[in-house]
Amino acid sequence: MAAAISQTGAAQTSAYDIPELFRMRPVVVDALETDSSAMQQDTIEECLPFLLGEEDLGPRNNHGIPLLDKQRHLNFLRKQLGPLPGAFMAADPSRPWFFYWCLAAMTLLGEDVAFYRNKLVETVRPMQNATGGFAGGQGQMSHLATTYATILSLALVGGEAAYDVVDRKSMWHWLGSLKQPDGGFQMAIGGEEDVRGAYCASVIISLLNIPLDLPAESPARAAGHSGFFSGLGDWIGQCQTYEGGISAKPSVEAHGAYAFCALGCLSIIDSPHRSIPRHLDLPRLISWLSSRQYAPEGGFSGRTNKLVDGCYSHWVGGCWPLIEASISGPQEGFAAEAVTPATEAGSLFSRNGLIRYILCCCQDLSKRGGMRDKPSKNSDAYHSCYVLSGLSSAQHKWTMKSARLDATVLGSDEWVVTPYLEGQQIFSEDDRLATTHPVYVIPQHKADGIRDYFANKAGF
Amino acid sequence: MPPKKVPQKTGKLDPVWAKPEDLKKPETVGERTQQRINLSTPYHGKDLNDLTADELKIYSHTNLIKPISEGKISLSVKAEREFWKVVNKEKLPIRHVRDNYDWGKDKNGKDIASYTIEELNQRKVKQARYRALSLFSRQFVHLRDQAKRQGAELAETQIEDERKRRREMAALKKDLYGELTAKLVQDPVYDDIIPIPMEEPENALARIAYPDFYAEAISYLRAVMVAEEYTPRCLRITEHVISMNPAHYTVWLYRFKIIQVLDLPIPDEIEWLNEVALNNLKNYQIWHHRQLLLDYYYPKIADDEDAVKKLAKSEIDFVNQILAEDTKNYHVWSYRQDIVAKLGIWTVAELGSTQNMIEDDVRNNSAWSHRFYLVFSDPSQSTKDASPTEHDPKVPESIIERELKYTRDKILLSPQNQSSWNYLRGVLRKAGRGMSTEEGFASQFAECLGEEGEKVTSSHALEMLADASVETGDAEKATLCFTRLAKTWDPIREGYWQYRISQLKEQ
Ligand SMILES: [Zn+2]
Repeated sequence: MAAAISQTGAAQTSAYDIPELFRMRPVVVDALETDSSAMQQDTIEECLPFLLGEEDLGPRNNHGIPLLDKQRHLNFLRKQLGPLPGAFMAADPSRPWFFYWCLAAMTLLGEDVAFYRNKLVETVRPMQNATGGFAGGQGQMSHLATTYATILSLALVGGEAAYDVVDRKSMWHWLGSLKQPDGGFQMAIGGEEDVRGAYCASVIISLLNIPLDLPAESPARAAGHSGFFSGLGDWIGQCQTYEGGISAKPSVEAHGAYAFCALGCLSIIDSPHRSIPRHLDLPRLISWLSSRQYAPEGGFSGRTNKLVDGCYSHWVGGCWPLIEASISGPQEGFAAEAVTPATEAGSLFSRNGLIRYILCCCQDLSKRGGMRDKPSKNSDAYHSCYVLSGLSSAQHKWTMKSARLDATVLGSDEWVVTPYLEGQQIFSEDDRLATTHPVYVIPQHKADGIRDYFANKAGF
Repeated sequence: MPPKKVPQKTGKLDPVWAKPEDLKKPETVGERTQQRINLSTPYHGKDLNDLTADELKIYSHTNLIKPISEGKISLSVKAEREFWKVVNKEKLPIRHVRDNYDWGKDKNGKDIASYTIEELNQRKVKQARYRALSLFSRQFVHLRDQAKRQGAELAETQIEDERKRRREMAALKKDLYGELTAKLVQDPVYDDIIPIPMEEPENALARIAYPDFYAEAISYLRAVMVAEEYTPRCLRITEHVISMNPAHYTVWLYRFKIIQVLDLPIPDEIEWLNEVALNNLKNYQIWHHRQLLLDYYYPKIADDEDAVKKLAKSEIDFVNQILAEDTKNYHVWSYRQDIVAKLGIWTVAELGSTQNMIEDDVRNNSAWSHRFYLVFSDPSQSTKDASPTEHDPKVPESIIERELKYTRDKILLSPQNQSSWNYLRGVLRKAGRGMSTEEGFASQFAECLGEEGEKVTSSHALEMLADASVETGDAEKATLCFTRLAKTWDPIREGYWQYRISQLKEQ
């Protein structure tokens, strides 16, 4: 049910129904102050006025939650896709990310982005290299991150004209050259090898229906690998740390962004209830993920003793549907009206805490618009995308209805999404976003669209 | 006899139609132009009915001779003689200054017409200097081409002169027109490179208005990359691009290739890289580049124990310098782990240096993570490639005890610090010990649980007590701990604690 909107503004703090948890400073605090605790303290003080309704964020409902200003954020995103001033020079090698971040965020806000199809096609075409893959810009080297962002952007605008830009055969060769003897993927030829590479490569392979056999010239063949996913799950398993979280590569510090990449990758190479427990210590991982959420802020942090940041709404928040699927397995009898536990505790994390943080602290409600890390930071396309993805994920429940019979038939797990209706709904129903697939982070029908197109293509 | 009036040769003969304001010394260029217009077009702008017969004659004659003096009509010899007679007699102006003459604006948007005469003259001198320099510059190119055809090259001094010349031209251009000359065209070394500019459709998405100097550098970079050229001048182009945009991953990979092909001394490259790293703390391409350099360099010195030690020391020193500024920099810590493994820095000093960072901030989780790596991946006291979450029987008991003691001390210092609790759990895993072995220690942070006067000074201790109870099969105690966490001590994780309780029931 939509929460009633109060027009009283910021003055009547006491009028809002805000649980104590999101109003009070933490109950257990150490006396010893260090840089980390001082920064944490500052962040709490920075967020509290936004959470309490002391900061003027326009009308709030009786839960003290401001509206999601969709038009303002859409305007911001449209501008980010338009001509950019020279100050964006540093973004020269990462422009495809801007396409993805903006198009994905606009889609979540309910905008039809097919309008951008021609422009996108003409922009990315010269960024594709004849030797396979897409670069950050013309004349640059192909990179897994920019290729991933480009493929997702093409899927978002949809249509054959967009899909046909991709040269799948050279892509196959190029991906083969990135696959390493230890099972992982380099981001670019000669580039770094990390969990992002594993995730980006598996998404690309899955959406483009790339043959799973490695090309003959792949360096991984020397180590006995014959397929793209051979040894990949084990390599990801090595990235779990003593804390339970996942690091960029083996033996580094656990980090939220890599946790999502690891789970996403594992959910592609097989159904999550099989592949995730097979390669990771699931209980330790769940505990670590859960401890990323802080109160009173409500948002997630990326590492132990680091600060909340809106983008982890996706990197950590987006892990939950995959974790739930790996705990519960396929829900064959699942119907949309199926009963879930009655309290908010039916979720492994506090959805309302996250929603509070996002709507109160992550919206830039100035003329600029867009979403941000925290109130003291500027909004940008990256945070807009991942904050909104996290919001959508908190507002919906994704259930894996049936699992593939054969691990190699990618994308055949059946996922079903329903609005999350348990417990108290603290946001206005108008602010419920569109849905985004828990593995591909684009709407399900967009992922299906591109995959079906290539699944029907015989050979390259 | 009165002295004969000698016509002044130097002074101007003021025409009869000159107004006083046309004869005073002009202050600005615009004023001078206006005077010239007035003097060369008698009575312009005046109502013809107001003119006297003489004035009217001058006026109409001026207009009559115009087509002739401008050469639009050619006359016979006789007629021309007649023409000049009239012109001289009436002192008619022959040259006509065009009306509405636009001097244009300078680089600051200032009207050149508002310049003083002196200022204009200075500008003209600069323009002339620029023209002369470009003449020499063209000559240089010509000479060089000629030399090339004969299989020769110009002397370095000639090239250096040209370099200076182009720099001066660039400075003049900036001074005169505010135009920035891109950097690479100022150096004749790059003359034979045909840059490949980026060609984007007008309506390209997120099209960036690259500053000219960046666009130039990128177009040269692209040209040499396409040509697969790996020469010192290419190295300089990469340096130039990196100085503007260190996030440009392609330029780094290309730079590494050049270093390999030219077999350049790695210590020099590292020294250069230090400077770049200090100026770009958040950039991670730098650290991948550094790792590539080390991978490439290490085999060359692997047999020289002293050289390896020296390198290890200088690398750790530099890493420490960066971490002092940015204590949790993910890529720097990651690099540190790489070099520990590669250069075998499993030393007391390394442990000590990590320890110092934990002393500075006991909540620095990156430092704790590094410690875990140093202790439990040291090949002399651990199983190769053992998973961080698994029991490793090869780790000596003394090490386990040392780590447990160290961690407990740090927990006592700051009980609600998750870094040290996570570390404690990690050590117990490695030791193959259960959580219940630390139950006694953890209990001191959670007193009178579920009773009057309940006091919890660490929610992490309570979580450990819960896990210890799960281990020992004490579901009741575990439920109590989880419930207390959910209700009071860590309620943001209520969903998780409830899930743990629901798992107890399943068992
Ligand atoms: Zn962020």
